[in-house]
Amino acid sequence: MIDPFEFVLGILGTIQSFTLMVARAFRYLVVHFRFRESLLEMDRLGVGSIPIVFLANLFAGLDMALQFSVVMAPYGATNLLGKVVATSVIRDMGPVLASLVMSARVTAGITSELGMMSTTQQIEALLVMGVDPVDRLVAPKILAGMVMLPVLSVVGDFLGVLAGLAVAMFGAHVAAPLYWSGVRTALTPPNLVNGIVKPFVFGFILVSIGCFYGLRTTGGAQGVGRATTKAVVYAAIWILIANFLISKLLIDVWGWSL
Amino acid sequence: MIRLENLTVAYGPRVILDGINLEIPTGKTMVILGESGSGKTTILKCVLGTLHPVSGRVLANGQDISTLKEDDLLRFRQRMGMVFQEGALFDSLTVGENVAFWLWEHTWLSDEEVEARVRTLLRFVGLESSIDAKPSDLSGGMRRRVAIARAMAAEDPAFMLYDEPTTGLDPFTSKSICDLMRRVQREFTTTNIVVTHDLTDAYRVGDLFTFIKDAKVIATGSRRDIEHSDDPFIKTFLSLDS
Repeated sequence: MIDPFEFVLGILGTIQSFTLMVARAFRYLVVHFRFRESLLEMDRLGVGSIPIVFLANLFAGLDMALQFSVVMAPYGATNLLGKVVATSVIRDMGPVLASLVMSARVTAGITSELGMMSTTQQIEALLVMGVDPVDRLVAPKILAGMVMLPVLSVVGDFLGVLAGLAVAMFGAHVAAPLYWSGVRTALTPPNLVNGIVKPFVFGFILVSIGCFYGLRTTGGAQGVGRATTKAVVYAAIWILIANFLISKLLIDVWGWSL
Repeated sequence: MIRLENLTVAYGPRVILDGINLEIPTGKTMVILGESGSGKTTILKCVLGTLHPVSGRVLANGQDISTLKEDDLLRFRQRMGMVFQEGALFDSLTVGENVAFWLWEHTWLSDEEVEARVRTLLRFVGLESSIDAKPSDLSGGMRRRVAIARAMAAEDPAFMLYDEPTTGLDPFTSKSICDLMRRVQREFTTTNIVVTHDLTDAYRVGDLFTFIKDAKVIATGSRRDIEHSDDPFIKTFLSLDS
């Protein structure tokens, strides 16, 4: 039977270790910034994820426009399709979808890479050579996640809105200028801040959780598999929790304005 | 010189090392022998500072490692070379990049200077022609050689630690690795700790020998001291190996 005291202690210990790792990573980003490694990680994490993020946003935009046009058509409100699709994509769907797709690729990749390094003593070898793994491996990855996810998300948002236009024009028979004028009215400060802040935070979450579980991996190939599953699940859950919290915070700041 | 004073390590109630006292003079090689799981590798981890003892201390050239902060430890380890059981080479880098890694991290040498040093080190271990190979393309013996070259990359390594450096190798390759370890000791005057359970290799590389059993040192001294020990465990160990 699980001892509740031990269980709570375990959770607190995990939170403490995670916080210390993140604090050290940010310290290294300030005092020992690795430009080359950061660029390489941005390429690996960001550029490598372009096809899947774009594909996901494309189909999400198509589907959303389709569903909204079905709901709005009976009320004769399809002229608002551009505004509704753009608002949904920029505020929520774009960042969340890009992050969840990225977590499947990036979090899993980072955890299994660092996990294999841990189980084959490569992390220990770094320490022995006087190099902190958080400095060499974690900090550049976290920076890359926080920079690249907003970039991918913004381009993905545009693609989603563009896909919505196709449905609006050919499915709901909405004229392109009308759709675009709706999109323009959706480009308000609250929506844009939502669309940038969320992927910035999500990028941090999906990379830092991947690194954390990767560095703690023990137990050979099975351990790597277990750590990867755990990291992807936790990253997805924390992205959804953070999405709600940021939405609530920004609504509290700006009120109910769109 | 490395000195272990009353070193005790425990994981919860399980005691791994119990009041270990050892002294390895400068330029000498201490071989630590014992059964699997007897705590041999734990000693290396304490010397590296990757594991903190419950009590006791580790002194390296007078510096107490167990009290160093993380940043000081990282600096201290720059004068240390470690060869892991399977080499622990970075599999995303080539052989040359593995050896160059320390130089990239801790020096401001130009690319040409780094390459020259890498080639010298790889020539020293007889693998200059494999400079562009990936670790996955190398045999077990070659990986250990690269690991030794990587550990030697520091300008002036004072300590070399070897964790089962010949495990899984054929007798010829084992001998060549032992010869290489001897050359390193001779040419760089390093203080070495070698963890192994292979007595033949231990005799090839060691100046001093220590037997660990049940978390304690049961004998330490020269080859002659060990061979004349009355301890039943050591007698059995020596007879099984011969």
